[in-house]
Amino acid sequence: MTFSRHILRAFDQALESLRADALMMASLTDRNLQNAMTCLLDRNAEICAITISDEKEINALEKKVDGDGVEILLRYQPVASDLRQVVSTMKLGSNLERVADQAVKIARRSRNLTLEPELDEATALGPLFIDAVALFRDGVRAYADGDVTLARSLPGRDRELDQMNRDIADNLTARMAEQPDRIPDYLHLLFIARHLERVGDHANNIGEDAVYTAEARDVRHPNNLFEVA
Amino acid sequence: MSNLTMSSPTPISKSSGITPTPPEDSNSQVAAPAFDVKNLSIWYGEKRAIKDISIQIPARTVSAIIGPSGCGKSTFLRCLNRMHELVPRTRIEGQILFNGENLYRPGSDPAMARRRIGMVFQKSNPFPTMSIEENVLVGLRLNGVRDRHVLNERLEKSLRMAALWDEVKDDLKKPGMSISGGQQQRLCIARAVAVEPEVLLMDEPCSALDPIATARVEELIRELRTRYTIVIVTHNMQQASRVSDRTAFFYVGELIEFGETAQIFSSPRERKTEDYITGRFG
Repeated sequence: MTFSRHILRAFDQALESLRADALMMASLTDRNLQNAMTCLLDRNAEICAITISDEKEINALEKKVDGDGVEILLRYQPVASDLRQVVSTMKLGSNLERVADQAVKIARRSRNLTLEPELDEATALGPLFIDAVALFRDGVRAYADGDVTLARSLPGRDRELDQMNRDIADNLTARMAEQPDRIPDYLHLLFIARHLERVGDHANNIGEDAVYTAEARDVRHPNNLFEVA
Repeated sequence: MSNLTMSSPTPISKSSGITPTPPEDSNSQVAAPAFDVKNLSIWYGEKRAIKDISIQIPARTVSAIIGPSGCGKSTFLRCLNRMHELVPRTRIEGQILFNGENLYRPGSDPAMARRRIGMVFQKSNPFPTMSIEENVLVGLRLNGVRDRHVLNERLEKSLRMAALWDEVKDDLKKPGMSISGGQQQRLCIARAVAVEPEVLLMDEPCSALDPIATARVEELIRELRTRYTIVIVTHNMQQASRVSDRTAFFYVGELIEFGETAQIFSSPRERKTEDYITGRFG
């Protein structure tokens, strides 16, 4: 649903600014994820350092989005779709910061791996990386465009990502038994796969918030029948 | 002299085609409503101020009416205790059942309706020549109550109900106008509840009060809802969301939406409601 502008223009400007900061943050997080992938697959220690360093900018934006969101709540006391947009944007900020955290953790582990001989299994994480980044981008797109159909497609894809992670973990565990001297390096790969799986979870959260924003519907935990009164 | 006629409900075609959203919760459907308004239309001369409104107001809840100026919310409120009849050239169509009885039954006494259905106005209006005590008891005395014991009991009870007793108990003989604006408004609420009505209608009761006095009146409204059916007209949407259980949105004389307050302010069903409460009107 598209809305006309508010009578109070400053309210529109505040909402637009909040959204712009969140989307900037999403863009930086996307770049960090891409860099993390380069760290691992290209064994590029310099990019690893940049990825780790860039997190500061994202953290600063998270604080700005939170602060500006609270200020909008205080100043304009939004209701209905406006309230949902502010709340979802603040939650988007948290999810993006956590995705950026995962990118940094991947970069740190990848940097450690560059100090050791290359493992063939690292390239096997490529498809997981590509799917995790695609899921993340679609989560952000669902939020930005209010695309509920896209948002609703994310949980299924997140489950596929979970399965890929489990398959990779099984494979890596088997490799550890064959090459015990490389266990620390295989553990790095195992955790990188786990970090990517977490990226999928956050993308799914972003999609859930996109549905909430557009339809005022809480689609989290659909199989949990327990309700707190 | 008002030109009041009351006809049986007649179907009236809607000019805008807007259909009010019926309330969804089972409470109002199952429990008998305090007010059951059916196809209500009100004219001031040639101007139709209320257009074919049907609404059920549940008993012992707070219902807020919101909407832009001129939308008919105060007119509607005044209809609920026949106050609008005091306005010349008023005409009404449709039906208002109060506790199942026709409020406009031919031959029924409007004064009796107003005793059972009290009203608190935008501007506090204590009687200027009367003391605090006399202001509270004036309705009872007009109804012929003379027993000093009953009057004293009702005086304290009403002032306590209005959360004013502790502040004025030593000054009951002082003029009603000598206390602060917020206290005067609570005095008016005490005066309204002294005659033990079943309903309290409030027409922007806090619009002239400071935030502290407003908070006291709002707290009072929340407490009174266990005893009374309260209908409050307010321009302050935050106030509607704080004090009411259900909210109705009126627009150009039509009821656009009536539902649980939390639902109205989080996910209204009608686009007009959304546009109004988010400040996009105009």
